[in-house]
Amino acid sequence: MIGWSGRRKAFTLLLFIGPTLLGVLLLNVFPIVLSIYTSFTNRNKFHPNPDCSIFLNTLLDPICWPVFRANAPRGLAEPYSMVTPLYQNYVDLVGKLVSPSALQAFGLILLCFVPLLVAGYADRFYDRQMTRRVGSSTLWLVGLGAALLLAFALNISEAYNTLMSTGDFFVVVFRTVLFVALRVPLSFGLGLVLALILNMQPLPGRTFFRVVLFLPWATSSLAILMALVWQFFFREKGVINQILQMIGFDGYAWLSDPATAFAAIVITDVWFSYPFFMIVILGALQSVPKDVYEAADVEGARWWTQLTKITLPLIRPAILPATVLTSITAFQMFGTAWAITQGGPTRGAGQPGATEFVIVYAYKQIFQSQNYGRATAFAVILFLFLFAATLYSLRYTRITKGAYE
Amino acid sequence: MNRAPSRRALVIAYTILIFAALFAFYPVWFAILASGRLGDRLYTLNFAGMFFPTEWSWENYRVMLTEKPLLQWIRNSLYVAVTTSVASVLISTSAAFAVSRFRFYGRELMLVFLLAIQTFPGVLALVAVAQILTALGLYRSHEGLILAYTIGTLVFSTWNMKGYFDTIPIDLEEAAMIDGCGPLDSFIRVALPLAMPAVAVTALFGFMAGWGDFIFASVLIPAPDSMKLAVPGLFSMANDQSVPWGYFAAGGMVIVLPTLIVFLFLQRFLVGGLTVGGVKG
Repeated sequence: MIGWSGRRKAFTLLLFIGPTLLGVLLLNVFPIVLSIYTSFTNRNKFHPNPDCSIFLNTLLDPICWPVFRANAPRGLAEPYSMVTPLYQNYVDLVGKLVSPSALQAFGLILLCFVPLLVAGYADRFYDRQMTRRVGSSTLWLVGLGAALLLAFALNISEAYNTLMSTGDFFVVVFRTVLFVALRVPLSFGLGLVLALILNMQPLPGRTFFRVVLFLPWATSSLAILMALVWQFFFREKGVINQILQMIGFDGYAWLSDPATAFAAIVITDVWFSYPFFMIVILGALQSVPKDVYEAADVEGARWWTQLTKITLPLIRPAILPATVLTSITAFQMFGTAWAITQGGPTRGAGQPGATEFVIVYAYKQIFQSQNYGRATAFAVILFLFLFAATLYSLRYTRITKGAYE
Repeated sequence: MNRAPSRRALVIAYTILIFAALFAFYPVWFAILASGRLGDRLYTLNFAGMFFPTEWSWENYRVMLTEKPLLQWIRNSLYVAVTTSVASVLISTSAAFAVSRFRFYGRELMLVFLLAIQTFPGVLALVAVAQILTALGLYRSHEGLILAYTIGTLVFSTWNMKGYFDTIPIDLEEAAMIDGCGPLDSFIRVALPLAMPAVAVTALFGFMAGWGDFIFASVLIPAPDSMKLAVPGLFSMANDQSVPWGYFAAGGMVIVLPTLIVFLFLQRFLVGGLTVGGVKG
């Protein structure tokens, strides 16, 4: 910017970003620090309260702060303390994943993704060349083929079974990743198609369709009610089965079969989440100047070329943040699965069900066994996992760049 | 796209729109039907009743509007949601503008940091948030809720606005600065009007955060009835003996209405074209 620096610049900056930083420190960062601390303790229903004479407790646990000191609960129970060794909660959760056989299986699975990575790098390398000798789709197809061959050669299903037998953690995380990988592209695709259509000129009835298509988001305040309505659609005597019977098919117990129960959750969550994408993309489309399309028309570019070469690249910076953030919220999805299946169906007691995603699992850990130490350790591991994934996606999509770069 | 579409394109477009509209509307229609049904059931096993109002009655609506404090709850919710929306827009647009337009040390770090903290599972932060608000003396007050919701929306809103600012040509602001605008002026007079579509999305997001939340509102304002927000108020009518689904559905339809009105108001801003002709070359 022109001609301002030093103290004035610092002051202006503070004016702009200060409130955000302050708020985030207060209600986002502090709870995280407290949770990380709790994950190293044995806090549970037998040791619920802090010992306020320990310095770290006085500093971190609000119950020990002067405002609360007077009415802090003083039960007969022992106060919680740090566990020994410090990382015991983590060992309980993911310890078996660090065994040699599990690590080997994990390495084998990772190895299968190498051809895809190579294809990605080669694709970007060719992008920078003046002429492309190998097409992008050919590269990816070859990479995918090599990956599948490798998976076959290395006997991946056995490695997968080894990992699945290491305990709940891997099972739950794997299912959640699968859920995110299905749900986010589906709702993004649906939102994109609808936003493109709603942005057409002229489009009689635009406002009507905008409002109707926005409805699922509007009802998100009634998520519990709407999720139960969806549950009824999939029930044995529900709408889908009744329609199937009308046209002569047998009904099916959709929510008792792990695969269809999973699909039911995906469909319901797509219903809840696509309007959000639609609205964000609709907003982003407004920043695309119309004269670009006029130029493209003159050059004879077809609709598909215009979409992939003009529209998507131009709205990319505006919609990427929403996509990354939605993936994070999808990973933490709770309400839909809880209302429809409560995490089930399960194969047996004590095993996580087919739709028991990470937060459903954490919720059960906290509220059914009140094991705060374990639950916060789980949260911290998820946090690290998601953090790494987010950092990678940021690097890959390069969306932290400012307008000047 | 933006030129007049062909007849074939319009036919395809309307086909998709109609199917999507059915997909979007049928579950809501099902809930509307339930709101006109007497008794405590959300469902009906009568096939026609799943699609048409076979046994419609206004009784649930009458009870919700006259005998229950639903209107008071909606007033509370409106206050919280509108304030959240305004505060969220004010705070996040300015932060997003700074992150998009200024070059300063730690800018990328701040963006990554904002995203990183968002990855922490929110359920587990709830207890700590409640304790902090109590320490600030904001427990059992609407202002405490507004604070929690506003901060909860900041990460998404800041990132979303930043993304939109990035797509707006910076040349206009540079021109304004050469003409003597300071950073604050060029933000309020040039960038903000151009970013209206994204501001509308941010405002809507803030409104929905305050309007639709259940967990924070029920933990932070457990009582009295006159202070409650609409959604937790509605669900607090359930007790161990019965869950009055007819009342829920009727009250729910009343609660959804303000959201639609806000959306109808804001969707006018989802129209672009302001930058056209502003920058040449």
